[in-house]
Amino acid sequence: MAEKVEIPVQKWSGRVREVTFGATKDEGGSRSRTVTVGGEATLPFLHFEGEIPHPPRVAIEIQDKKPEEWSPLLIKVWEEVIDDPAAWAKRAEERGADLILLRLSLDDAQGEENTPEKAKSAVRKVLSATSLPLLVFGPGQVDKDNELLVAVAEEAAGERVVLGVCEEKNYRTIVAAALAHGHLVDSRTPMDVNLAKQLIILIHDMGLPLDRILMDPSTGALGYGIEYGYSVMERLRLAALQGDTMTQQPILVTPGEEAWRAKEAKVGEGVPEAWGDWEERAIMWETMTSTALIEAGADVVVMRHPESVRLVKEAIDKLWMKEG
Amino acid sequence: MALTGLDIYKLLPKTNCKECGYPTCLAFAMKLAAKQAELAACPYVTEEAKTQLAAAAAPPIRLVTIGAGERKVEVGNETVLFRHDKTFFHPPGLMVRVKDTQPMDMIEKRAREVADYFVEYVGLELRFDGLAVENASGEASVFASAVERVKEMGLPLILISSDPGAMEAALAKSVKPLIYAADEGNWETMSELAKSHQAPLAVRASGLEPLVELVEKVRGAGVEDLVLDPGCRGLNDCLVTFTHIRRLALQKNFRPLGFPLIAFPGEGASSPEEEAILAGQHIAKYAGFVVVDNFDPALAYPLLTLRQNIYTDPREPIQVTPGIYEFGKPAPDSPLLITTNFSITYFSVANEVEGSGIPSWLLVADSEGMSVLTGWAAGKFDADKIAKTVKTTGIEEKVSHRKLTIPGAVAVLSGELEDELPGWEILVGPREAVDLPAYLKIWKP
Amino acid sequence: MSRYIATRGIRGANRIVKEAEDLFEKALAEHGPDTKVAFPNTGYYLPVILGITGTEVERLGDLKPVLEHARSLLHPVPEDRLWTPYLGEALDCGIATLLAEEVIMGIRFIYGEQPERLPGFRLAGGTFTSPDEAEEGGVEGRLNGPIDDIQLRSWGIQLVDGRMPGFAAIIGAAKSNEVAVKIVRELQMRNILVFLCGNVNGRSIIHQLTEEGVELGYDTYTVPFGTDTISAIYAAGFATRAALTFGGKKGGQTREIFLYNKFRVFAFGLALGEVDDLKYATAGGVISYGFPVIADTVIPEILPTGVTQYEHVISMPFDDIEGKDDLERATRLVQRCIEVRGVKVKIAEIPIPIPYGSAFEGERVKRADMRIEFGGKYSRAFEYLRMRDLDEVEDGKIEIVGPGFEDVEEGGYMDLGIVVEVAGRKMQEDFEPVLERQIHYFINGASGVQHIGQRDIAWIRVSKSAAEKGLTLRHFGDILYARFHSDFEAIVDKVQVTIYTDPEKMKEWLEVARAAYDVRNKRLVEMTDESVDAFYSCTLCQSFAPNHVCVVSPERLGLCGAYNWLDCKASHQINPTGPNQPVPKGEPLDSDKGYWQGPIDFVYEHSNHTVEKVSMYSIMEDPMTACGCFECIAMVIPEANGIMVVSREDPSMTPAGMTFSTLAGMAGGGLQTPGVMGVGKYYLASKKFIRPDGGFKRVVWMSSFLKESMAEELKAVAEREGDPDLIDRIADERNVTTVEELVAWLEEHDHPALKMPPIL
Repeated sequence: MAEKVEIPVQKWSGRVREVTFGATKDEGGSRSRTVTVGGEATLPFLHFEGEIPHPPRVAIEIQDKKPEEWSPLLIKVWEEVIDDPAAWAKRAEERGADLILLRLSLDDAQGEENTPEKAKSAVRKVLSATSLPLLVFGPGQVDKDNELLVAVAEEAAGERVVLGVCEEKNYRTIVAAALAHGHLVDSRTPMDVNLAKQLIILIHDMGLPLDRILMDPSTGALGYGIEYGYSVMERLRLAALQGDTMTQQPILVTPGEEAWRAKEAKVGEGVPEAWGDWEERAIMWETMTSTALIEAGADVVVMRHPESVRLVKEAIDKLWMKEG
Repeated sequence: MALTGLDIYKLLPKTNCKECGYPTCLAFAMKLAAKQAELAACPYVTEEAKTQLAAAAAPPIRLVTIGAGERKVEVGNETVLFRHDKTFFHPPGLMVRVKDTQPMDMIEKRAREVADYFVEYVGLELRFDGLAVENASGEASVFASAVERVKEMGLPLILISSDPGAMEAALAKSVKPLIYAADEGNWETMSELAKSHQAPLAVRASGLEPLVELVEKVRGAGVEDLVLDPGCRGLNDCLVTFTHIRRLALQKNFRPLGFPLIAFPGEGASSPEEEAILAGQHIAKYAGFVVVDNFDPALAYPLLTLRQNIYTDPREPIQVTPGIYEFGKPAPDSPLLITTNFSITYFSVANEVEGSGIPSWLLVADSEGMSVLTGWAAGKFDADKIAKTVKTTGIEEKVSHRKLTIPGAVAVLSGELEDELPGWEILVGPREAVDLPAYLKIWKP
Repeated sequence: MSRYIATRGIRGANRIVKEAEDLFEKALAEHGPDTKVAFPNTGYYLPVILGITGTEVERLGDLKPVLEHARSLLHPVPEDRLWTPYLGEALDCGIATLLAEEVIMGIRFIYGEQPERLPGFRLAGGTFTSPDEAEEGGVEGRLNGPIDDIQLRSWGIQLVDGRMPGFAAIIGAAKSNEVAVKIVRELQMRNILVFLCGNVNGRSIIHQLTEEGVELGYDTYTVPFGTDTISAIYAAGFATRAALTFGGKKGGQTREIFLYNKFRVFAFGLALGEVDDLKYATAGGVISYGFPVIADTVIPEILPTGVTQYEHVISMPFDDIEGKDDLERATRLVQRCIEVRGVKVKIAEIPIPIPYGSAFEGERVKRADMRIEFGGKYSRAFEYLRMRDLDEVEDGKIEIVGPGFEDVEEGGYMDLGIVVEVAGRKMQEDFEPVLERQIHYFINGASGVQHIGQRDIAWIRVSKSAAEKGLTLRHFGDILYARFHSDFEAIVDKVQVTIYTDPEKMKEWLEVARAAYDVRNKRLVEMTDESVDAFYSCTLCQSFAPNHVCVVSPERLGLCGAYNWLDCKASHQINPTGPNQPVPKGEPLDSDKGYWQGPIDFVYEHSNHTVEKVSMYSIMEDPMTACGCFECIAMVIPEANGIMVVSREDPSMTPAGMTFSTLAGMAGGGLQTPGVMGVGKYYLASKKFIRPDGGFKRVVWMSSFLKESMAEELKAVAEREGDPDLIDRIADERNVTTVEELVAWLEEHDHPALKMPPIL
């Protein structure tokens, strides 16, 4: 007689917080609908074990000017809209984005310094062109980030935009701007559980409610340290489910940026033949980086190529199906 | 509760005979406690001790080997659900399926392609592990000759047929392949074949309860080297089912499911891309063998890389081969940087240097896999080591200048280094790799 | 609470509530209850009233219940012979005062009397510079009145993110125009926002500053509210709106709004000149926000803390302030204000003539390039840091006692003593050595300066090029002042540096310093696990050993050797959310074996529920886990009935049949492995070293590196154990590399472990 199989079901004491992006007209914004992530009471896609109220979401990253340093493949695929953030946002929505991430650049297309006025106008244009919730990331330089994001926060008041990125060395101004105008922030730390937790605490200490903070533990791309990001995310999610309150934030990661920085995605010539077709490889590089991270617990993945987005969204749909 | 190394030691002969391959009985005991060794390695252990240790000492997932020689594949013996809990030990075998309905030349060509394919990654050669040959024709002789054709590649094989007769014909032509598969209808004959050919046997059933039942039967027939196919095929289905099995094996020590799993992502996918995505999931979530139908370098490379990354031991970060790395086509007057061979350190530096578009030389010192600060603190990335790297790599012949940029975090080494490297000027670079492009832009020979 | 203050405040409150009521009745009669009441360009109704009562005042009629509430808060003026604690009454009256003041201002807007007119005055940026206001000629001749919402958010962000340390509400008039200007400049210099209001006998600081041509307005971070005391209400309004906007508080959450301001808005009131009843009453309201009040006249002080973070009311009679002239007195007054509120000052740039940064930390100054050296072969140098009381340290004072090095010949040397005195509310004597060790890094950061050693073996060289660029001894002071402030702002409020080159003084202070070093050494030795209530965790290494938690106690330092208990404690103060957290010992379960409930719970929680029980001392039973950074590995050798200790410097084979690096795989990774343990090498000398397993006498083998590098400490241990030759009985890799050899050696050398009870 065979042994009876008792399916092990873990009892988790904690669950991830829900975070809602965007605000509709009734809520003081102008989005046609909001997007909520988080709320998981078990590990990714293990529906049998606990509630998972929302699937992971895909944000498409666009920039306020043509990003010359991007891979030629990306520039080609967005060619028609790449000079106009509004058109780009619209196209991204058509190509399946759940969220739009607008990255502000250091200089504008004419090579002149980006200014709060220009940033505001870019944000305004994108908000009018798409009805999806928005994330706005600064160019990544402390002073510039603060200058631009404070202005953006004001311009987008009421829209529940995600401002990013908050890092340990620079988060206070961004958090203050989020506080002042009702936005969310992205809390980014370099692939370490405790640092991730610590920055959440620091941001929360400034008075920002936890349901307005996304945890961005950062990641490497496939072949470039993904295993660290992957494991840190698994650990963070386990800690959250075990009841560690400061890790119970939905996780946002940027596999698109990471994958497209890799030579495998960026470069088509002078590479080994074993790497295969450039475009196919590049898309798979981004896709597989993203799906691995989604299975490790990512709630939002920020991506760049529409074809990878299609593949990832299809995978999410199939993972989301409760087949048993 | 699990036994500690000391508990186990008390039950061992305490003779330090070293026949188990470990220097002392205590060392062996510690390995047993960590489930990284098998009690059978000790020739002198008493029966009494054996009974006491059986539960503690047997790995919860059996190690299964297919093929022989250099390219044999070992899977199983995993001890954790999450790689961060310790590590994943045996990367799943990645196999490419061919069918005996294809023209023999095509089969051979594909087999050759798989056998020859490798891709370099941080000094490693990543490869697929073997082939799965399916008896789609239903003809035993066709199957056997297909196996014969691919055999000469020397790759481990999975033989796919539910017809014991065909299987027997093919088994004669191969070395310790995986027999796929015993099912409700054929398990008795398949078990006999597995025993007589000393080949591991896959057991296939739909659902866990039927699978367990079948496994018990097959084990009862005397076959212990098993691989399981619980019949799931889709993304969610496989994630859930494989998680159940891994948890049962590890957390409940449920022996009937303590075997490696086999997956066929192509059967659950609607495109080659989706197959790759699903194969990626199997790598991370618990498969022992992954049999793919599409073989394309553009899909193979990311898959192999993912497997390499997931199966990297998080306790011992992978190291990059020390030496000179070139970015862009560096000239003798291009900037020269140095960093450590901890992979993540190397990658962050390499990424930024690459991204900067400025041709540069990068020296990678052998810090035994430590990051810059850890390496410095542990004396593995000190002035002495850096100086040695400069002198032994031959970089002095490649650059015309004598300016070495060290990471900002070890600025403190600059003085000592100038003593160690007379004639060199030591420049202090940024602390963070992300600031390298800006630094390289203003660098002057 | 001073009865005097309470009496006057309560009197002032009664009067202002009456005044408000009268004005309200008049306005009601003249304009009717439906007349709109609002502060222009703000969206918080009347903010103080909204915050305290939750009432959304939109029309004149809405003010009635507010005034009734204010009246209900009033208390009678205490009679002369009555002695009760007055704080509660005074605070209530303060609240009533604020409500009444805001009512008055609201009504004044109806009458067009706000913002206050001041003929000829021109704002340097303000609420009423908007184009629509300009049409009415409102730009000229009016003060600012309430701060508009746009400015509130813009400054609010800076207050919240810390760029702006806080705000000062100045009320009254300074001793002279000169002093007024100086006070405002001192505040501006520190990026502190300044609100101006009130008067003394009709003269306001606003008059004083305007007369001196000081531009007032948003552009200059100085906002003139009005020349009467009532306009101070705009400061309270600003604070309330900050709590509503940035703190997410709602109207009516009075306590939360006050607490938000107490802990997050670093503001204070500065009363210049005579303090009348209304000012006392207003101060009573301001204190509720957690803002202390400092007066430059003689008034009773309220020192005990409670409502505010530190003192409530401070009196600093202007003419009694030490200082060579009024300007210096003004500076001191401002410094005191900052101290009382606990405002942290940031120093952006170190004022020295040479580049500075960690990139220069490792520079060498070769003898040939050397301008001068202190310490080393030919001279002596020491550095000493001590903590003092807050009033004993003058922040920013840098003094050189003795000659500079200008007259020393090139390549020469001289004696040098650096004495740093720090004060801070959170500073503790225990942190002195932790901070003192930083001097090395701080000085080293200067380009062209080399620093080696510490304490009285410090050795500093200055290069010719640094000297040519103008580096002097004073700059060492500048560096230390700036770095201690910026790196240790959590524990250091004031820093003063004295540099001694005068031979006599230098010698004198060297003796003081040496005595202190001695005391510290002893203190560290005397500190026991029994003498403290809490240990400290270190989870710094969880990035690669996720389930590992170090528990550091006075008698067991971190296994990496880098963190002792004091280091962890200081690190926790500096970075309260960081990797070093206090671990209260809690219930002692078996303190001999090192079991306390506190560490057990803490480790269980922070090892992600993998390590269920941990002993602080034992290697055999529930030993502490290790990351991988250990200085040494201890492992039991059952055959020898003892343990061996191998150091990471030792690559040779050990009697366990494994080298350090093989053993490391077993000991590390956060796994609990009885019989194997990673330790810091100084734990070997601790009385608690594997005490439950028999203590140091169990050590049968140790790397010769340890024997040599810790010779002195081990000698002391041997004596403590009552066997002065003990170390010689312990084998090392020079004579024993297998377990068989080990047992033979131990018998030959009569090692005590052989006679001890079985270790297994």
